[in-house]
Amino acid sequence: MAVDIIVPKDLWEEEVEGVIVAWLTEEGASVRKGDVVAEIMVKKVQFDILAPAEGRVRILKKADEIIRKGDVIGRIE
Amino acid sequence: MTPTREQKIWMYEHMLVSRYLEEMIEEIYMEGKTPAFNMAAGPIPGEMHLSKGQEPCAVGVCVHLKPFDVVTATHRPHHIAVAKGVDLNKMTAEIFGKATGLSGGRGGHMHIFDPDVNFSCSGIIGQSVGPAVGAALSRKLQKKEGVAVAFLGEGAVNQGAFHEGLNLAAVWKLPVIFVIEDNGWGISVPKTASTAVEHNDIRAQAYGIPGHYVPGNNPLEIFRVAGEAIARARRGEGPSLIEIETLRMAGHFMGDAEQYRPKEELAMLKARDPIVAMRTYLMTVDKMSEAEDQEIVTRARKRAEAAIAFAKESPYPRGEEALEKVFV
Amino acid sequence: MTTVTSNVRKQTIARAMAEAIAQEMRTDPRVFVMGEDIGQLGGVFGNTRGLFEEFGPERVRDTPISETAFIGAAVGAAADGMRPVVELMFVDFFGVCMDAIYNLMAKNTYFSGGKLSIPVVLMTATGGGYSDAGQHSQCLHATFAHLPGMKVVAPSNAYDAKGLMISAIRDDNPVIYLFHKALQGMGWLGTEPASIVHVPEEAYTVPIGKAATVREGRDVTIVGITSGVHHALKAAEQLEQKGVSAEVIDLRSLVPLDREHVINSVRKTGRLIVVDEDYQSYGVTGEIIASVVEADISMLKSPPKRVAYPDIPIPFSRPMEQWALPNPAKIVAAYESMVK
Repeated sequence: MAVDIIVPKDLWEEEVEGVIVAWLTEEGASVRKGDVVAEIMVKKVQFDILAPAEGRVRILKKADEIIRKGDVIGRIE
Repeated sequence: MTPTREQKIWMYEHMLVSRYLEEMIEEIYMEGKTPAFNMAAGPIPGEMHLSKGQEPCAVGVCVHLKPFDVVTATHRPHHIAVAKGVDLNKMTAEIFGKATGLSGGRGGHMHIFDPDVNFSCSGIIGQSVGPAVGAALSRKLQKKEGVAVAFLGEGAVNQGAFHEGLNLAAVWKLPVIFVIEDNGWGISVPKTASTAVEHNDIRAQAYGIPGHYVPGNNPLEIFRVAGEAIARARRGEGPSLIEIETLRMAGHFMGDAEQYRPKEELAMLKARDPIVAMRTYLMTVDKMSEAEDQEIVTRARKRAEAAIAFAKESPYPRGEEALEKVFV
Repeated sequence: MTTVTSNVRKQTIARAMAEAIAQEMRTDPRVFVMGEDIGQLGGVFGNTRGLFEEFGPERVRDTPISETAFIGAAVGAAADGMRPVVELMFVDFFGVCMDAIYNLMAKNTYFSGGKLSIPVVLMTATGGGYSDAGQHSQCLHATFAHLPGMKVVAPSNAYDAKGLMISAIRDDNPVIYLFHKALQGMGWLGTEPASIVHVPEEAYTVPIGKAATVREGRDVTIVGITSGVHHALKAAEQLEQKGVSAEVIDLRSLVPLDREHVINSVRKTGRLIVVDEDYQSYGVTGEIIASVVEADISMLKSPPKRVAYPDIPIPFSRPMEQWALPNPAKIVAAYESMVK
């Protein structure tokens, strides 16, 4: 079953957009639950995005793309 | 020593000029930097250290100074430059990296140099001290009028340059005043975690010079203490050290989310705005009317707007101009 | 270079550095970290993130702004059996503490007749390109490499960053670890995607003093370090479009310098371009060229070229700074002028 990789809604407080700095994995790579799969930046602060499950990564939003809280940026299949 | 009404208005107005200029810079700085905060992007690239909240330190000291007096400042220099009378248009153009800037775009916001009013600054912590001591020595040797004031942050007092400079100034009895702007924070490290004493005025004792601590970020108190120290230096009686409790209303640099700073402290920033306090004081004690306030506010804002407009309209230097001005 | 495998775990240089330090701290209680804003903030450039949370304030120590004191203290602690990792926030700040670095850290082993070991790692941020002006943008590669008694390393990607950090911590000598801000993977400094590569989870070493060929070619050898490697790789791609096959060497270490590696490559290609973001004169570019020429001048088909920072302080204004910085176009132009 696929699980979405979501930017947590409580990751930062203000209603501002962020950006994906880098994916720390690759399309199709296998990850464990809790692995850091991406780094995002809001203002000058960087946050880790963790794999919500074990499986293979599908990237839906690329590095440099703009993101909001709650966005689905990828999927674990 | 108490300021005249005119001096108080001067201080108020120069705080406003600095604040308006920085508010405009703040807005323009973010152009091209959202949502991806890339420091290199936008009309004002690079680091940006805002001084808002610290304006009282600048005006309370500089109101006593003449253009021939020397001021050296820090990586957070705007308020001091404004109070020292640095050419506002050329300074703003410098911050934008324009050819019309004070140094033709070579220095940027951490390297504001205006020899016409004897102002300079450095992006290296504590390095305001030596040049101020040297300027004071030069005045003494040349028997020329003038004192030197070195501004530095409370974080800088743990640099060797501070201690060496104080001792040198004291042993040679030079006309120099060291002004510590204590905003409580060295980037993310609080003063309590970095400095062994509560207030740095006590360190003056180690060099046999007067030390003063000014709490409250109050321009009038700063005026009094700085006035006495400057007068003492002008009389040839040697250096003084002043630590001023002030307020960093912004992050260390723009984009700083200040996650390290207690939420209660951040929440109180606006309530502790020294410009608001000064306005209230002027209205109650000096009977400044709404109309007079409006006039001052408008004048200050117009100066800042004109400087921004000048900077925006100015051309960029050509790339190869980088090769020029390495030597005179 | 990176091949798609089933368990690719990419890291930024910042993360790779922090991971390397953490792994060494877990296995070696002598390792501790000192510097400005390296605690809760995790370092201005992110390379100590997570360390304070894991190891606490005793081993991850925020310092006052007192570089002479804490770098001098690192020398003393190292001589007494500890393995300090210290951070000088910007390499430009070396001015306030160079005595502790080059008169103590670099020389105490020699002064003791080799009896004292000074295993300090001094990590410090280099590089410009983002309009931070002349006191926050320098590389100063040659300044440190010139002074005997310190090893000097400078990674261009996260794999080397981790391996070099572990080597540096385990080395019994002082190591200057230069990391370029634009390669660090901090979004606010721009991010060079090619510096974010696969990094194994386990601890491993990259040997100090060994260069790497990061792209093979026949017609010209382009030598670089940190940002220069990425400029060289991009230039090599552009040259390939023109039918020119460029070999790119990442020096990775400046001390010891892997001269043999460069010489062997030039022996094959017959042409040499050296790229460096540090000031040109008396610098890395001259040292590399001299090493090749001293070895065998006859292997050069044309005079070597350098693409380095001009001998000027780094200007703030974007058009001036960008004009002065090395870039792929300048490397391509250097090659074209060689074969004209």
